[in-house]
Amino acid sequence: MLKRRVIPCLDIKNGRVVKGVHFANLRDTGDPVEAARAYDTQGADELCLLDITATTEGRDTFVDVVRRVAGQIFTPLTVGGGVRREADVRRLLAAGADKVAVNSAAVANPLLIRQLADRYGSQCIVVAVDVRQLKPLPGETEPLYEVVIHGGTRSTGLEALSWCEQAAALGAGEILLTSMDKDGTRDGYDLAITRAVSKRVPIPVIASGGVGSLEHLRQGLDPKEGAADAALAASIFHFGLYTIAQAKHYLAEHGIPVRPHEAPRGVLITG
Amino acid sequence: MPREVILVDSQLGNLDSVEHALIQVGASVIVSSDPDRVATARMVVFPGQGSFGPTTRGLVDGAMGAALRMVIERGDPFLGICLGMQLLFEHSEEGGGSDGLKVLPGRVRRFPADMRAGDEPDASRLKIPHMGWSDVQPTGEHFYFAHSYYVETTDPSLVMWWCRYGSVEFPATIARGNVFGCQFHPEKSQWSGLRFLRSFILGGRA
Repeated sequence: MLKRRVIPCLDIKNGRVVKGVHFANLRDTGDPVEAARAYDTQGADELCLLDITATTEGRDTFVDVVRRVAGQIFTPLTVGGGVRREADVRRLLAAGADKVAVNSAAVANPLLIRQLADRYGSQCIVVAVDVRQLKPLPGETEPLYEVVIHGGTRSTGLEALSWCEQAAALGAGEILLTSMDKDGTRDGYDLAITRAVSKRVPIPVIASGGVGSLEHLRQGLDPKEGAADAALAASIFHFGLYTIAQAKHYLAEHGIPVRPHEAPRGVLITG
Repeated sequence: MPREVILVDSQLGNLDSVEHALIQVGASVIVSSDPDRVATARMVVFPGQGSFGPTTRGLVDGAMGAALRMVIERGDPFLGICLGMQLLFEHSEEGGGSDGLKVLPGRVRRFPADMRAGDEPDASRLKIPHMGWSDVQPTGEHFYFAHSYYVETTDPSLVMWWCRYGSVEFPATIARGNVFGCQFHPEKSQWSGLRFLRSFILGGRA
């Protein structure tokens, strides 16, 4: 049976791990290689690195981070942030990434998804979708969501569900769905859009944005709530609030099928 | 003296993580895309990501295909990973249909699009690719899978471990004499994956 995944995410700026609230107010929380190794040992099902630097030097530093992290872990590594063209994907895969997430560039040119999937296989192309709920108009009963790009600063006019469907049809292997309204708030995922996308698209969906507790992870993965295939979180793990092992344990106790935590023999994992 | 393994670079995906995992379990790894070099190997690991199609057709019909068959026929330990395992079989329906190396009996098929997560009529549709950690039987260990196609073999005695996704039960690992294959990615499967690779490296068995 396929298990639900718990994916810690590291936001990387200039080679260091940072975590912001609403993608702003960044603060430095440490060395990515050290963090990645810790998560791998704690039993993370996968690891995600997002590059949030804007400069060319930052980009080169990021590729170096990917290379160093890939050399330390034996779980899948998804990377994203600033991926514009096929050459970026090639560079990240060559550095040891297993999957590459594209976001704004796919919105600008949806056929990029097909081009990348044809070349590298759907299993390694993730389409990252940042969404924001639109203020309901009088008479609208269902909430509507819009796709935003450039870290949530720019509207696209795309409706979230149809964009996710289109991305899947073009060959995306997974959707990484982030709620901009929830990101950094620690009030939990936006379950409505997570469930809607997860039920609509035929490919796995990773819930992202807003986790502040283990219960939020459970909600994201519960088939009747978020219905996501994987739960991504950053700050609850970074700030040492919980370990991955604790998260797995909590989920298993609450009926979510997860891969049991397997500690390396002879090494005591505390917490 | 560490076991020397030839890791076949056939342009079917990134080799670094497989190399890294093999070194971790004590192998000395030589990466090669040279069929002559591969033909002389005493132990071969053949990884692959992506899909059957033009690249695999060139490989199957070319010198690399001949070299891989030679290693297998000679009886040296051989491990195919993911697409590398699927290529051992006769044919795949992927990409309009392509032949494999035809070392083992069976065909590669796509997961049906309409599989459900349970028996209830409103149960959610299962996602394709089958992506993530699934347990295998009979050991109950978890491995990382990322695939839309699976092997359907006419010879169940080939199958060492099974995995189930939706209504499909498919081989997670296969073994016939010196030939081994795994559908999962042992290099991405943490301790269970490293144990699997170590048993192959040490015993020439999986």
